Formats: sequence, structure tokens, C-alpha cells
Amino acid sequence: MKVSRRDALLVGAGVGVAAVGGGYAVATHDKPEPSAPPTTDARGHLLWRNWSGVQHAYPAVRLAPKTEAEVAQGLRTAVAPVRPVGAGHSFTALAPTNGTLVSLDGISGIIGWEGDEAVVAAGTRLGGLGPALAAKGRAMANLPDINKQALAGALATATHGTGATIKALHGDVTALRLVTPQGEVIDCGEDRDADIFQAAKVSLGALGVIIQVRMKTTANRRLERNVWLEPFEDALAKAEERWARHRNYEFYAVPFTGLAACISHDETDAPALARGPDQDTIFLDALKGMRNLLGFSAPLRKAAAKTLLGGTKPEKAIDEGWKLLSTERPVRFNEMEFHLPVGVQLKALAEIVAVIEKERPDVFFPIECRRIAPDDAWLSPFQGEPRGSIAVHAHYKDEFAFLYTLIEPIFRRYGGRPHWGKLHSVTGGQLETMYPRWNDFLKVRAQLDPDGRMLNPYLKGLFGV
Amino acid sequence: MRFLGVLAVALGLAACSRPVPPAPTAEQALALAPADARLATLYADSCKACHAIPGTGAPLVHDRKAWDPRWKQGEAVLLDHTVQGFQAMPAGGQCVACTPSDFNALIRFMAGREDSAG
Repeated sequence: MKVSRRDALLVGAGVGVAAVGGGYAVATHDKPEPSAPPTTDARGHLLWRNWSGVQHAYPAVRLAPKTEAEVAQGLRTAVAPVRPVGAGHSFTALAPTNGTLVSLDGISGIIGWEGDEAVVAAGTRLGGLGPALAAKGRAMANLPDINKQALAGALATATHGTGATIKALHGDVTALRLVTPQGEVIDCGEDRDADIFQAAKVSLGALGVIIQVRMKTTANRRLERNVWLEPFEDALAKAEERWARHRNYEFYAVPFTGLAACISHDETDAPALARGPDQDTIFLDALKGMRNLLGFSAPLRKAAAKTLLGGTKPEKAIDEGWKLLSTERPVRFNEMEFHLPVGVQLKALAEIVAVIEKERPDVFFPIECRRIAPDDAWLSPFQGEPRGSIAVHAHYKDEFAFLYTLIEPIFRRYGGRPHWGKLHSVTGGQLETMYPRWNDFLKVRAQLDPDGRMLNPYLKGLFGV
Repeated sequence: MRFLGVLAVALGLAACSRPVPPAPTAEQALALAPADARLATLYADSCKACHAIPGTGAPLVHDRKAWDPRWKQGEAVLLDHTVQGFQAMPAGGQCVACTPSDFNALIRFMAGREDSAG
């Protein structure tokens, strides 16, 4: 009889307690909450912090416009640096400002339809967009791992899901409405201000505030979701065939276990089958417990993981795609993700797993491996060719400097482009070599924001301004 | 002294006699919203994504059993945890437009303590 991941882990925890007695206390020991910045600063300004807690600022002014006119008026007079913010899910310092923080929460909802293309207010959270599109029988072609982000933030950072034939979210955008720092409203698309459009589709919130997006949608099809564990070596060997076969396919290399967690989605007309309760958080807790208990010995940790997890039962669910493609992530973390040429993706992944298992016994988060189709946005990491993404995570209470010192050099050596919203140290001249239209983007940026009012110190460094 | 003991027991029983309302069902939780229109919008845009869905790890809206231990820490502590982020709770509940008084009102609403507004 096979058991679910939840059953296996609960039984495993019991076995662990019986076997090592006080080991349970070690396994479940939690680090203290990291120290937090004060709720207000000396000027009385309220703290803003990103989702993981690694970025923060005390904006002098917070704007929450509800109309295009309010956005335009606000931008004309706003204290610089002016930074738009959605859900605050970026790990890089894109949003922090001690000037003006512009929330897009009031610019939300579906504005209208042009055929099967939806015109969507840019502050709409992806989690709310799914049911709103479904009410019209439509859906986004793909969704990221989480759906908490605002649409504008997801587009600004080239946020993506997985699927060899499916583009990142911005790949389905056909037109944008941008309010410049001077309050000018620009409608751009492939046949209208095309340069601004290609620059703006992925633009880090640096050209102004995007308030409206026209985007392609697909039929709201039912998907079959399958989740299973298998040896990491098998996942490596079968990855290309699975990317070719499945609508969506990704896998997580689980360090110190010899295992991979694989997830596929395919269209189906079969009846709905409930997704069931979240298993990932329990899985993560178990991995953390094994790290705490057996982190001193990689072989012991791997043996324990294979015993506890090796025979777990696959999971299956069938439902509309917007209900399945994203997952709740209640455990906060910091993350680095690079997008690599597909030919070296798996080799790089194997190298990363090996170096983590050799040098970082504190790591327990699974490493995510995805595939994304190409597009033509100037600052898209998928510009010009398909890319294979690898994402390495660290629990929000854990030290994450190793991402820069140990992991980023591997990504760079394999020709990776950084995810704009995730941790990286790549800047100006290095980016120019990665992006053929880098300087064209900088020209559009200078044209739309000659005084650099949208640039905080991080963006000035990134753009070499 | 015996009388005082009986009185204390009686008061204790009286205090305990106010039943804690049962936790809402998943459907009821999804339907709950603050009466104030501005708060309802802020709640729908931010808090609801986690606090109205069982299993996200966040205490469910109006689930007094989950909220009461938190409420005992005091509103100032809850406000700090909300603004700074705490454990699974992201800073500000991902509500950039919320003011401290908005946060306090939203916490009271979710904790089932709207009668404590002041």
C-alpha cells in the first residue's frame, strides 16, 4: 500500500522521535524571528517591507490612485524617487523609496474586452484575475508558482510559469497604457509607439506607471495536475521528453534526498477531482526537520529522506487551470533565479545540487527547474530564445549570502540572465552584454524620464545612470 | 472567605459562559467583509487572499479560537507584527495603501473583535 506525502511524513516524524528520542526537539527547533526594522522611522513614516522582509523603506508619501487622472496628477507632483508597487513580491530593491510609493491596488479589475483579448487594470492581483476571466470562459495561458502578485509587477519583472511552448506573462500582452513621470498618457502596442511598447512590456517600473494592459487569453480549459516523487537522476534524464510532452512541466531537485518532485499539467475533459489540502508546506517542514536533525551527515540525511519519502503516493487533481497552476506559499523565503540557455540548464542544475550538498548543509529548500518559450520584449530574459530557469531558495530565517557567492557564479558561467525580481548582483555593463536591445531600452527610459524621477538608488546602479 | 471563593468561581463561570462563536465554514469565510466600504476594499485586495481561505496557514477571518491567543498579545503588538511582517505574515499584509488605523480596524474585523473599536 502506498501512502500520501502527508502520511509518509507524519509516520516518518513518529519513527524519528522513537529512534532518536530528544531528536524531535532538535528537528522541530525553529530559529528566532529575524530582527525587524521599526514600524515607523524618526520622521513618523510607516515602514514598507517586501514579502520576504529583505527590502524595506520609509516612504515620505504613499499614493493610492483610483483613476488614470489621479495617477497622472500624482506623478506630476510626486516627491522623487517615485516607485510603483504591487504586492511587494520582488526580492530585489525595485520598490523601496523614501520618496513616493505608488500603490496600484486601486487600479484593479477587468475594464473590457476586445474579442478574446482582455483589457485589465494593471493593479489587478493575479489571484483575482483568474476567476474574473473564468466568468467569461477565458483564462491566462499560464500562471506563476504563486498568484499574489499585481499584474503590473508580474509584467515589470518578466514573471513566468513553466511550459516549453508557453511564454512568460508579458508574452501575451498586445497593448499597454503608460503614464509617464510628467503625467503624459501613452497608449502603445505593436503598431503604435512600437519602441516604447517593446521597452515597456518588461520595464521594472522605470518608465512611469503602467495602468492598463491588453492581453491575449485562452479558453478556460480544465487541466489534470500530477505530482510525484522520483529519483533525481530519473528527473534529469526524462526532463526534455516531459517538457516536449506536457503542457506544463517542472520539477524540483530536493537537495540531500536524491529525489525530485515533479509536476505536470495537461488539458483534459475529465470530471473535476479536488486538489486536496496543501502538502508542500508539510513537505518543507519535514525537509527542515531532517536538516536540523541530520544536517551533520549528508549520507544519513539522504538515507532518512529515501526511507521517509521514497514510497509516497503520487497526487492528482483535475480543475480549471487558474485553480491549479499556482500554489499557496505560506513559508517565506529569499530566492535567486536565473534563466539559462536550454542546452545547459540540466548540467547547471546538477552542478548546483552537487555544490550545495558539498558545501551548504543548511539548505533544505527544493530547487525549482522550469522551461519558458521565447518572446521579443527588449528586457525579457527570454528574449530571442527559449530559456531554462533554475531557482534556488533560502528560508527567510536562514543566511542567503551563499546565493551570491556560490550559486550566482555558476549561473553566470552558463550564460544565465537574472530574473528581474529575484536576488542577483548583475548591473549595467554586464547586462548590456546579455541583452541586445539594452541600450535601446536605456534611450527610451531617458526619453520618458529625463530627470530620472522613477529611479531609486538600486535602479540607478542597475542602469548605470 | 468561603463566600469570596464561591463568588470568584461564579464570576469565573460567568466569564466563561459567553460562548466563543464557532469558526466560519470555508464558504462563510469567503463571504465575510468589513461593513465599511474602504476597509472592505482593502480587505478584499490584500487580507482576504490568505485570511479567508482555510489551509493557508493564516488565522481564518472570524475564527475566534485561532485569533484569541493572538488578540491577548494586545493590539500594539499585532500592529507591529502586521507592519513588520511576522512568521508567515508578509509585512503590511501586502497592503501598501493601508494606514495604521486601517490595519487596526482590519485586525479587529478579522479577529471578530469589532466591538473593541475605539
